[in-house]
Amino acid sequence: MRKRFQRKREKSEPMELDITSLLDILVILLVFLLKSYNASNLKLNLVKSLTIPDSKARKLGNHSVIVQVDKNKQIWIDNKVIGTISNSEKIDSLYDALKNKRDIASKNNPKLIAKSVNLVLDKKLPYNSMQKVMHTSALAGYTEFKFIVQGNY
Amino acid sequence: MPRRRIKKMPKLNLIPILDAIFIFIFFLLMSAQFLDIYEIGSDAPITTSVSQPKPDKEPLNLTLEIKRSKILVKTGLDGNLYKSISEKELAKLNDILIELKNQNPKENSAILKPIGNYEYHKIVKIIDATREVLKPNVFVTSVDEKNRKYASKVLFDKIIFETQN
Repeated sequence: MRKRFQRKREKSEPMELDITSLLDILVILLVFLLKSYNASNLKLNLVKSLTIPDSKARKLGNHSVIVQVDKNKQIWIDNKVIGTISNSEKIDSLYDALKNKRDIASKNNPKLIAKSVNLVLDKKLPYNSMQKVMHTSALAGYTEFKFIVQGNY
Repeated sequence: MPRRRIKKMPKLNLIPILDAIFIFIFFLLMSAQFLDIYEIGSDAPITTSVSQPKPDKEPLNLTLEIKRSKILVKTGLDGNLYKSISEKELAKLNDILIELKNQNPKENSAILKPIGNYEYHKIVKIIDATREVLKPNVFVTSVDEKNRKYASKVLFDKIIFETQN
């Protein structure tokens, strides 16, 4: 009789889940994420055929217009293809797109028009292509170039 | 004889901590960027037609002419050749620039003139050697706005690109 009562009492107790191991995993995940946390407000989606060069630079990037040029000299602005690098000194498609961006920005906030442009260029790109991009950006009103590079420890 | 009751140890309630960690992880996952990206700043050269007063000391006007396999370090307004080094000797270039920075602590700009087909990643390596002291325990003398000297790792961090004719 007594044994039967005891068994009944054991059954009614709620089951306790041991979450210590789960907590361990979460803490490891937290440390990993904290280590890879970047305070920069620049969000970059690299296009497929583009490899950025390594550098010892330690300055975090800032949000601005992003111009990407891949190894096939195709130009992307904010992840949209706008054309390729032409033979002329001024790249018309890039100029029009940047000018358009600048006009929209000036309409929205005339006092705070950004002068800087983030240049994400493929590491194999020759200097003359790079120079055409810089020249066209400067003509469109973006005179501060920020070359985006990968950290090299 | 009374039976001794074993006192149960009170269990720590981990649920609120777990909630906080979950929120923190969610926030970090949303803002995580697994590619370490940094920027190197450079300005477009500004040309002025207004005559400026002549400075007491001739500006350094440091120019790095980047040829196919060598780098020519030029100084002065006339572009006098200071040193010529191989493109692979970036540590040597860094030493030359340390020497020039110690001689001209107020100067902070360097003009880069690469040839047309010079690759971007090689230019970045030269910029790295121009902007900062590469050796771990070496410092250079810099001067702030109030003419106070201080030890620094920064060499010529204002990079300007120019075209070669």
